[in-house]
Amino acid sequence: MNEPTPPRWAETFLRLLLNSRDRETVSGDLLEEYRENIHPQRGQGGADRWYLSQVAGFAFRGNWLWAALLSGSFITRTALDWFVPPSNFYTRSFVSTWLAVAILFCAGFYASWQSGLLRSGVLAGIATTLFSAVICAVGTGCLLAIRHDAPTLDAIQGSGGLAEVFTLPLLLVIPGTFLGAVGGLMGGTARRF
Amino acid sequence: MADILGTFEQAVLLAVVRLDDEAYGRAILKEVQARLEREVAAGAVHATLGRLEEKGFLVSRVGPGTEIRAGRPRRFYCLSASGRRALNDARAVANKLWHGFRWPLKGSYERTDASALG
Repeated sequence: MNEPTPPRWAETFLRLLLNSRDRETVSGDLLEEYRENIHPQRGQGGADRWYLSQVAGFAFRGNWLWAALLSGSFITRTALDWFVPPSNFYTRSFVSTWLAVAILFCAGFYASWQSGLLRSGVLAGIATTLFSAVICAVGTGCLLAIRHDAPTLDAIQGSGGLAEVFTLPLLLVIPGTFLGAVGGLMGGTARRF
Repeated sequence: MADILGTFEQAVLLAVVRLDDEAYGRAILKEVQARLEREVAAGAVHATLGRLEEKGFLVSRVGPGTEIRAGRPRRFYCLSASGRRALNDARAVANKLWHGFRWPLKGSYERTDASALG
């Protein structure tokens, strides 16, 4: 008899998120719970959703610190641009760009150093930017709710507009993937020594 | 008293004690869920198990898998001497904090004992 199986890609994701020590045991625990308890109770769709939520939980636990740092730097930059607009954005751009590069690199490095897999670094870069985008959207929304007087709205227009603030964190997934891969390459290599 | 355990850490350690020889990841998850009477993410339990093992409160060994888990091995946990001490300390702290109160607390805080600590 064919045993029910969670989405293959989600299992691959989960295994990439786990360090080499826990990869088999933890993925086995989730598979056992999926087959023995969740699937009979909730059916294929419900069990798959449960499995995905568990994988998302592992992804968040592994990357929340990097996501918090990245979104924190982005929200701080946004707040400065809106509330203390500079005459020249160059210095702020320089600092915030390289800070984001360093955070995404470290996320990839740490994930691959833990797992020994380059792909974990790539996944960490993607997960960090996606979680960060959600936090940024909420944080920026709060900033806007706190202050939305005429000078602030002028400053928002002058710094690139609202659309940029909400879409840029999501677009970071592309460089995030690349930087996660670079960090992952270095982290995987460092683990061997 | 070196390290006071959080509630979740105590739930995980006590699940390990209760399950005895059968204390592996999924069984601990189910035991914790049953005791806390709520859904608990597998990641939360595994992260806590890892942290408690790092602190030396738990020791683990890898055991054979079963067919339902596609033959993947199970990691069995067991309480260490320092884990037992930490649990005893946590219980002692809770007892000390609650000393002199009737449980559950009502609107006016009823004392069972008028004398102060010490």
